[in-house]
Amino acid sequence: MKLDYSLISRRAFLNTLFGGWLIAVLSGGIYAFLKFIFPTVGKEPDFVVLNRADFLDIPGNTVKTFAWGGKPGFFLKRTDGTMLALKGVCTHMECNISYMPDAKKFYCACHKGWFDDNGRNIEGPPPRPLESFDIITAGEKLVIAKKGVKVDLPKV
Amino acid sequence: MICRRCRDWITERYDVDALRRLLRTKYVPSHRYEISYFTGGLTLFLFVVQFLTGMGLALYYVPHSEHAYKSIVDIMTKLRMGWFFRSLHHWGAQLAIASLFVHFFANLLLKAYRKPRELLWVTGFIMITVLVFFGLSGYFLIWDERAFTAIRVATGGAGSLPLIGAPVKIFLRGGIDVTQETLTRFYAFHVSVLPMISLVIIGLHVLLVQVHGMSVPLSQKNRQKEAQPFFPNVFYKDLIVWLLCAGVLVTLAVVFPAAIGTKADPMAPAPENIKPEWYFLFLFQTLKLFPGEIAGLNGEMIAVTVISLGVLFAFLMPFFDRRSSAGRPSPVFTYAAVFYLVYFVVMTVIGFLN
Repeated sequence: MKLDYSLISRRAFLNTLFGGWLIAVLSGGIYAFLKFIFPTVGKEPDFVVLNRADFLDIPGNTVKTFAWGGKPGFFLKRTDGTMLALKGVCTHMECNISYMPDAKKFYCACHKGWFDDNGRNIEGPPPRPLESFDIITAGEKLVIAKKGVKVDLPKV
Repeated sequence: MICRRCRDWITERYDVDALRRLLRTKYVPSHRYEISYFTGGLTLFLFVVQFLTGMGLALYYVPHSEHAYKSIVDIMTKLRMGWFFRSLHHWGAQLAIASLFVHFFANLLLKAYRKPRELLWVTGFIMITVLVFFGLSGYFLIWDERAFTAIRVATGGAGSLPLIGAPVKIFLRGGIDVTQETLTRFYAFHVSVLPMISLVIIGLHVLLVQVHGMSVPLSQKNRQKEAQPFFPNVFYKDLIVWLLCAGVLVTLAVVFPAAIGTKADPMAPAPENIKPEWYFLFLFQTLKLFPGEIAGLNGEMIAVTVISLGVLFAFLMPFFDRRSSAGRPSPVFTYAAVFYLVYFVVMTVIGFLN
């Protein structure tokens, strides 16, 4: 059918059709693709449950490592018997740190950062103290929990 | 006889002589800085070496955190000539990056980015980013302690970029931590994404060089010697450079085979005195200049922002430097170029000596 008068030409109609088609497909496709290539992110654990006997009985001035998600967590027993749990990852560039029993400090080898045995950043580039955790003992279990996280002990 | 018939057969289907004529009409300017013209060809040659040796290594490498390390050890110890090809790939990468940096600084100083060659600059700049990322991703594949820590620091550093930092970090790591997902990703980048991008960008770059011809520095415009035909004069000189480079490459591979440390353990402390690859040292040193906190703001984020701005300025240099595009000298940009070069060299040396 040929119209004598039309608001738009055939060319304009086709351009709009294909242009719109392209935009629709691309935007939908790109959105879906972006959704696909950005991973669904897990999160760090709120708490981990360990065996009490493995940790409370370690000698003074030593550290025992536990798995905090995919990163190391440190359980420190000081010389006076007090205990501290913290994330063994430097707050500067996320390198794994180590405990230096002689100096009673934590040390990051990447950029020579130091933390005292409270996890406070005392020397080098680290901008913040180490992240420390709550230590909760429940029967045979030892629960290391993120600060401020309520742990439902009976369920543990 | 056979040869002639083959040639006729092809000529009937494709006008090969047109290519020949093109080759015969290609001339290369000659002046006192003409040596800079060989840096591009050298980089291209090293890229070819990387593609070939990489294809070989990909036949044996296993991109899984449990097996990656072992597969590299097997390549080095059990496979015939495996140590040689991995060392070639290792040293080829170092030389390719060095050669590309020389190419970059030569063209920066000679202002080869002038109109109408802005797109050459842009594509070249993209190739530097691609190559650095090639280096980073390839380095991670060996999955030893050093590589593991380096990738955590590098991806963590990317996380300090303003605004886009967090999503970039997650995208690179494939999660919140450096894990198997990260290895899978970096393997994909290294053997699929980056090679594809390189082919397109290098193709464009080389095509643009053919369209515009070689850039003649402003100072040499009126002091040129007679231009030389590309074929055979310049072509043979290129071959000489490549041959010398191949000699250096093989010597390095044989005398200093590529090393591998102890297998990565996500729970182990970072190894002592860890240093990034040499081409990251200037960034590493720059990061060290900034204290942890500046006026209550995160020093790292400021450092990364400053570095990004410096890189962005270099990237946009042809669009800022209007004077040289108009054919007039622009000393400010010469000083800027010299500053970039001196900064890069000095910081790299300091990082190396530290």
